[in-house]
Amino acid sequence: MIVVAGAVLAGILPLVTESNYFIGIGVSACIFTVAAVALNLVYGFTGLLSFAQLGFWGIGGYATSLTVMTFGGNFWMGLVWAAVINAAVALAVGYPTLRTNRHAFVIVTLAFALLVTLIARDWVDLTRGPLGIPGLPAPSLFGFAFRTTASFYYIAWAFAVLAIGFLYALCSSRIGRTLIAIKQNEPLVRAQGISPMPYKLAAFAIGAAVTGMAGGIYAFHLKIIDPLFLDFYYMQAFLIMVIIGGAGSFWGVVAAGIVMSALPEVLRFSNELRMIIYGVILLVAMLAMPDGVAGWMRERKLMRMRAALR
Amino acid sequence: MDARAEADADAGGTAVSAVLEVRDLHKAYAGVRAVDGVSFDVQAGSITGLIGPNGSGKSTTIDGISGFQPLDSGTVRLGGADITGMASHRIARAGLMRTFQTVRVYERLSLRENLMIAAQQFDAAGWIDELLRTKRYRGAIAAGEARARELTRMIGLMKYWEAPTGILSYGQKKLVALAAALMPKPRIVVLDEPVAGVNPTRIREVEEVLQTLNAAGETFLIVEHNVEFITTLCHHVIVLDQGRKLSEGSAEAIHADARVLEAYLGVAPELEEAEA
Repeated sequence: MIVVAGAVLAGILPLVTESNYFIGIGVSACIFTVAAVALNLVYGFTGLLSFAQLGFWGIGGYATSLTVMTFGGNFWMGLVWAAVINAAVALAVGYPTLRTNRHAFVIVTLAFALLVTLIARDWVDLTRGPLGIPGLPAPSLFGFAFRTTASFYYIAWAFAVLAIGFLYALCSSRIGRTLIAIKQNEPLVRAQGISPMPYKLAAFAIGAAVTGMAGGIYAFHLKIIDPLFLDFYYMQAFLIMVIIGGAGSFWGVVAAGIVMSALPEVLRFSNELRMIIYGVILLVAMLAMPDGVAGWMRERKLMRMRAALR
Repeated sequence: MDARAEADADAGGTAVSAVLEVRDLHKAYAGVRAVDGVSFDVQAGSITGLIGPNGSGKSTTIDGISGFQPLDSGTVRLGGADITGMASHRIARAGLMRTFQTVRVYERLSLRENLMIAAQQFDAAGWIDELLRTKRYRGAIAAGEARARELTRMIGLMKYWEAPTGILSYGQKKLVALAAALMPKPRIVVLDEPVAGVNPTRIREVEEVLQTLNAAGETFLIVEHNVEFITTLCHHVIVLDQGRKLSEGSAEAIHADARVLEAYLGVAPELEEAEA
């Protein structure tokens, strides 16, 4: 109920305000939240700390941009390519990497993200290198061009509703529960006849595809793509959303995604101190709730349960 | 004792009703022979005990049987089919479920969810059924829940049905692990020290649960240090020492041998601590 009401309320944002500034924050919030939820699938549920998300974000952005600017396709085809290429890359990277231990996995995914950055910067023939690809055109559908920020917002909103709905169906099913089980006790999962590998690989590939589409939409929101699109800032933002929301808590991360997208902007009342206040808020949140907001709420529930049962 | 000759002798007589046939297992770690030619059978419908002092190769034997340790040589047959060297999850699917010495449950999932996961690989619902919540999926869930309730009632933890298993005591978690292993109605359940670290007053409960299940036709292979527990419960007992089978026989015969056994265990069995 709350979720449906929230989604509908978010949908009418452009009717409430005409400020492109606020709507722009709304676009970012939709896209960043989806990327955070995708990371939550990989890290929060399956327990795989993946920095590769940044690479998938970049690949998605470039794949969509290049489809339109170089290969003569449209925006929607570009998004499909972003998803398909990312899923394929994730399977290729994940298959050998997921056989190593979790620490090695973190390092490999970090190297992968850096490699994508290098390609974006140095494969000048394809990506135009540091010059980037400016002037990404407004997407259009059945003759309607999403030229204004307000109309573009509906693309981001519809994508967020669909992607979050899909990921929720996945995470709340037995598949999601199996991913949590793999994170908690992999030998036990195997002793129960379940092979962890297909689950991990699927989570990694689905997370990559969704992140890639988010990246594609974000690039067209910015209307330019260059190697800065792969700035570590994005990875850090997704990770903070997952950690503050509570890794492994679906709606905790959705809520954190929306709040943390808006928070740096809300703090603009004091421009000089903005990032310092942001940092302090993060620090206090982490100290008070090491498992995120959802983890804190779960702890309280557990305490009540223990008291009631003993 | 010549394990190979004995294996051949066994194969002639009792192979028909043996649900698990273990032949001539070998496993060495850096030159140390942890398991050195162990052979035995587990008869369908029996409770078979596997005992021996620390380092006698019990854990390596069952880890090898269940696919959690690669074996150097030997064969394992489950219901007549060769499962030697198969991946652990495939062995589980073939019908051999196990528990672990250091209790393993999904601490953050509820008791209900712990049991449901244990059965999910064994029903007909695939991932498309799961995503679309088809009739087949709902049927599998209903059947699984009925089984889970039955087992939870049997282990007496119904009031913790929706509680995360992390809040349970060590002994209660062992019972949850036992119930989880029984969820898919496997051919055989291998229990790795089911009462180690369990409050002595509760050991009687575990015995009763196992006897009830066995009366219903469930087959168990139990690794345990607690000799009293083994001799009251088991029909057949296998004694390992230094990676070899020292003796084998009915619980009565082994019990009559308890003086010898105690001598070779070095300490009174009840005081023996769990293997690290």
